[in-house]
Amino acid sequence: MRTAMSKRKKIIIKLCMYLGYLLIAAIFIGPIVFLFVSSLKPYVQIESDMSNIRAFIPYGDLSLDNYINVIVKADFFKFFKNSVVVTIIFVLLATTINAMIGYALGMLNFRGKAIIISTIVALSIIPTESIIINRFMTVNSLGMLNTYIGLAIPSVAYPMYMYLYYNHFKGMPKELQEAAIIDGASYWKIFTKIMMPLSKPIITTVAIMAFIRSWSDLLWPTLVTRDGTYRTLPLALKSLFSDTYTDWGQVFAFSTLMVIPTMILFLVFQKQFVASVTSSGIKG
Amino acid sequence: MANSSKKKSGLQRGESKAAFLFCTPAVVLALVFIILPFAMSVVYSFTNKQLIPKVGIETAFVGLKNYIEIFTSKVTVLSFKNTFLYALIVVPSVLVIGTVLAVFVNQKIKGVQVFRLIYFSPQVVTMTVVAVIWAFIFSSNSSGLLNSFLGLLHIAPQKWLQDQHLALPCLAIMYIWQNLGMQMLIILSGLQYISEELYEAAEIDGCTTFEKFIYITVPGLKNTLVYVLVSVIINSLKVFTQVYVLTNGGPSNATTTVVFQLYKAGFVNGQVGYSSAIAVTFFMLVMVISILQNKFAKED
Repeated sequence: MRTAMSKRKKIIIKLCMYLGYLLIAAIFIGPIVFLFVSSLKPYVQIESDMSNIRAFIPYGDLSLDNYINVIVKADFFKFFKNSVVVTIIFVLLATTINAMIGYALGMLNFRGKAIIISTIVALSIIPTESIIINRFMTVNSLGMLNTYIGLAIPSVAYPMYMYLYYNHFKGMPKELQEAAIIDGASYWKIFTKIMMPLSKPIITTVAIMAFIRSWSDLLWPTLVTRDGTYRTLPLALKSLFSDTYTDWGQVFAFSTLMVIPTMILFLVFQKQFVASVTSSGIKG
Repeated sequence: MANSSKKKSGLQRGESKAAFLFCTPAVVLALVFIILPFAMSVVYSFTNKQLIPKVGIETAFVGLKNYIEIFTSKVTVLSFKNTFLYALIVVPSVLVIGTVLAVFVNQKIKGVQVFRLIYFSPQVVTMTVVAVIWAFIFSSNSSGLLNSFLGLLHIAPQKWLQDQHLALPCLAIMYIWQNLGMQMLIILSGLQYISEELYEAAEIDGCTTFEKFIYITVPGLKNTLVYVLVSVIINSLKVFTQVYVLTNGGPSNATTTVVFQLYKAGFVNGQVGYSSAIAVTFFMLVMVISILQNKFAKED
């Protein structure tokens, strides 16, 4: 009798847990569902649906009109291309240049190593925001305003990435390198042919961090782009949103298209994605 | 013997040369885009440097004038206050709710991993998009999403982002919503280090769930929570995106934050000297927090 009771109690507790999980899930995923659903509705319906639960349900006059408008009128793919180009340059350089210095600091012996390491630690405290105006002044005097280079390069050397790589390479077996040296391999060859292929997990982590950073950055593109030509997605969304008349349908379609690449990355690299984002939480 | 040491020094020279080449790109870029701008910020903060040089006005040393202005300008003082207030809303919410959530999803129940990922998923949404979605949720008309929901509970419609007192909390909620799942996962990984035996012992002693949470979970999470605390403080002090996209610092400067203010002073108003002084003050603030964290971490 008693065991039957406690069994029943257990089931009830479990059900309550699931109910709790679902309710909390609704808070986190509700706004995202709302975004996707609304991107398919005409503006008039978005407005009339927003006072009730229908805001979260795909029903009514659903179409891809908003998407067509965003692509034809709001020139989505021009900004998409800018974001893609800047992000590719940034991710490629950030993963390699910081890996190179990380490799040298972690696996090679040379004078001045200790100074460089402590400088990196010190620099990692500086928030980008506190040097951004004068970084802009520097980029301006180098004549790099309104260029892909000016958008991508300045934040490539990133103390935290250097430190991550340094830590990683410090832990690599030295024997591997020694054996390669005896075989007559150059350090460049050791780095590109042996060390980097063995470092895929850390490269993925840094690449995901760099992707998110570049893809979502709003402040830097605001400073260094002069007109629409080099505007990236967040900036383009901001101006679409701040138009005197905000067409919410278009804003939501634009936002959805903008989120999809990150979403794909998240779904494909779930574990690494979570690992990168959580480890980049400390210093940004 | 002598021969081998000679060979070694030759190798060492090769190693140093290689190391130098490997370091060069990163060092050059860091010099030009981190160290130089940082030095400029410090130097310019003592001058009246302008973005676009004005005819007849030379850049000159002005001593502490910019720093004095930080403490006397109403808007700049307010920007620091607002930023602290924002952090004061974000940090405890993320810590407390994040810990509770982490404990809540730390169960061996089927499907719980899926829920963890769902709670994390707002992190995938770019902040600009988060701002746009929540701007709609916080629509100020009475048929707005949140206002309609509150209407069901017989709460009068609010002006949200247009309300001086509510605008900043609204911006904080956006960040909490985006960030909470991630902090939950960090705390969750901290929970794995707390020994199961402690809970069993407490069970025998007749502790309630709440007591177990306060006396075992929270102390066991100390290191993780300090880490989360510091990273959330620093990140929330950098608040800019929501302000820039949604409120432009308004209404009546209620959402002007430090980073927004230094952006406005330097880029919009062209007062690079003044902006640099704000930037240096901001940097010192972050540095103090980082040093305090290191001190805390060393005590353990």
